[in-house]
Amino acid sequence: MTVIIGCGNLLRSDDGVGPLLIRRLWELGPPPGVRLADGGTAGMDVAFQIDGATELIIVDACRTGAPPGTIFEVPGEEVETPPLTAINLHDFRWDHAIAFGRWLLKDRFPRKVTVFLIEAASLEPGMGLSPAVQEAMERLAADLVRRLGRDERVG
Amino acid sequence: MSANSVGTQGAKMDVHVHALGRVEGDLDVRVAIEDGVVVDAWTEATMFRGFEIILKGKDPQAGLIVTPRICGICGGSHLYKAVYALDTAWQTEVPPNATLIRNIAQACETLQSIPRWFYALFAIGLTHRNYSRAKLYEEVARRWAPFTGTSYEVGVVTSAKPVEIYAIFGGQWPHSSFMVPGGVMCGPTLSDITRSISILEYYRETWLEGVWLGCSVDRWLENETWDDVLRWLDEKPQHRDSDLGLFIRYCLEIGLDKYGAGPGRYLAMGTYFHPEKYRYPNIEGRNAALISRAGVYDGEDFHDFEQARVREDHTHSFFRGSASLHPFEGVTEPVDPAEGKKQDKYTWAKAPRYMLPGGEEVSLEAGPLARQVIAGRPGAEPWQDYDPLFLNIVRELGPSVMVRVLARMHEAAKYYRLVRQWLSQVDLNEKFYIKPQELPEGRGFGATEAARGALADWIQIKDGKIENYQVITPTAWNIGPRDRHGNRGPIETAMIGATVLNPEDPVELAHIAQSYDSCLVCTVHAYDARTHKELARFTVGPGAP
Repeated sequence: MTVIIGCGNLLRSDDGVGPLLIRRLWELGPPPGVRLADGGTAGMDVAFQIDGATELIIVDACRTGAPPGTIFEVPGEEVETPPLTAINLHDFRWDHAIAFGRWLLKDRFPRKVTVFLIEAASLEPGMGLSPAVQEAMERLAADLVRRLGRDERVG
Repeated sequence: MSANSVGTQGAKMDVHVHALGRVEGDLDVRVAIEDGVVVDAWTEATMFRGFEIILKGKDPQAGLIVTPRICGICGGSHLYKAVYALDTAWQTEVPPNATLIRNIAQACETLQSIPRWFYALFAIGLTHRNYSRAKLYEEVARRWAPFTGTSYEVGVVTSAKPVEIYAIFGGQWPHSSFMVPGGVMCGPTLSDITRSISILEYYRETWLEGVWLGCSVDRWLENETWDDVLRWLDEKPQHRDSDLGLFIRYCLEIGLDKYGAGPGRYLAMGTYFHPEKYRYPNIEGRNAALISRAGVYDGEDFHDFEQARVREDHTHSFFRGSASLHPFEGVTEPVDPAEGKKQDKYTWAKAPRYMLPGGEEVSLEAGPLARQVIAGRPGAEPWQDYDPLFLNIVRELGPSVMVRVLARMHEAAKYYRLVRQWLSQVDLNEKFYIKPQELPEGRGFGATEAARGALADWIQIKDGKIENYQVITPTAWNIGPRDRHGNRGPIETAMIGATVLNPEDPVELAHIAQSYDSCLVCTVHAYDARTHKELARFTVGPGAP
């Protein structure tokens, strides 16, 4: 089973792209064997959502200075942040969740983790995506459905 | 916890606690230390929260979508009070089933929070090397060290269970919007109820009784006084050696019963409604319909809670002016912090206050200890919770870090019992929703008790749109700044008088901040009060290296 988790805060404009992509995938109809989760701004619960997945895909917004709407595809091991000791429940992000999930699930941890990051234009308080991010979200949603709909896996 | 220490020469210093959170913003606690004792404290919230601005002019139901996203930890509580704000504004009818499901969901979120907060946040600090000479230290480290402790994993993993019940009814947790004016958006089946019961029983057996209490829920809830608790401790080895037994013994050994008292004045807005007595939600009838009661304790006397007596003083907050206003009249006009600092403003948080009968405006502590003190008020109706234990403990021992934590943990047993009852009361053949009439004008008030304390929304609807929406969170009650009279907020008060063993690593201040479980990541900055030199800075939350 593939689990796709969209993370971010709907109330901070483009930071909501993760949860909104989950909603879009739901509308498009996820391929069989795919479970969707709106991770929102939960921390540790992202890790609990991973259980049972052979493959994990995380989607979030980022701020790197690239043009807004740029989509980065990052292998999970590149963004995991061990050690686990510097975690606070209220500042627990998906990178912690991956590390935490690895500890929690041990040999049940997914064999493959991929993180998609979409460059945000605005993180101001407010709801709704900027045009470039909206377009990137649509593109990634269609791409995920296409890729996961075939037997060959994302990567 | 990482301390970037600066050499200390003087005997007086400031400690600054800073928080960084993606969701809720940051909290800096700046503490002045003189001769190893905290002499002053300032809580500074460093992020502007704009929900009220986001909501203005939107559809009245936007609060159901927006407020559960305020927090990644207690979104269910936000939904619960947001829906009651609309129920009261639209004068809806809520069928008993919907009230039961809302209660179940709210309580399950708190049941999740209790072990997760204890093991993943609070107990880690108890393994700090400062305590390595304590007799019980080795046992504490063996059980509660992060990731390796014998209780840590079971505590953290079991914490995910109650919100599975939430998801059965709410579709997802966190950030569900399944509670709507007039009821809930779900049609549970018998198998949903039986699955929920089995999840709840798993929580009870695996963690609550098996690891935490070392006895049955019923046995623990027989305790009515601190003496009863001490007798319980000696009654059986299983009690002494449970995580709760160990926690009490360790607190008494390392002195967590001696500091962090706070204001000693408490506020509960109450939560969980009697399904028949809140069919027609309204502000006036709210107190009488509550199961977990609302109330105010001023240190000597109890008062009925009245939402009309709530004020927000923004004299020291980065908002224009210096008034103290009821949330219906609330203003959210931010000023540039650089300008604000010239007017002695130092935080983005307003200072919530409560006007006692007689006109005095006071700060009040919100949270589990507040709820449990209010639960001790005599005169409860048959359907209301009466529980004298914590009022007795506060009167016998005085409040402290230990007592605040015990109150939070105590609720796991109480809420387990309530959820178990409510699950058996759902009538699957009856309605879960009654479509309301959407009134174009109105005022509503909805409140609940999140894990962290009293949480409320005030909504004003005009021409079918939100005219004004104000949220006061429990964290705001606890981390609020000074008011126009110069009186400190609860956490500022709790810091005063704490003895810091090592000013370069003031773990004691972390315990105080964490005992309030504010939904902010705190960073503490220690300053020499004479030289104003920063001595230490550490983030509250993670455990000792």
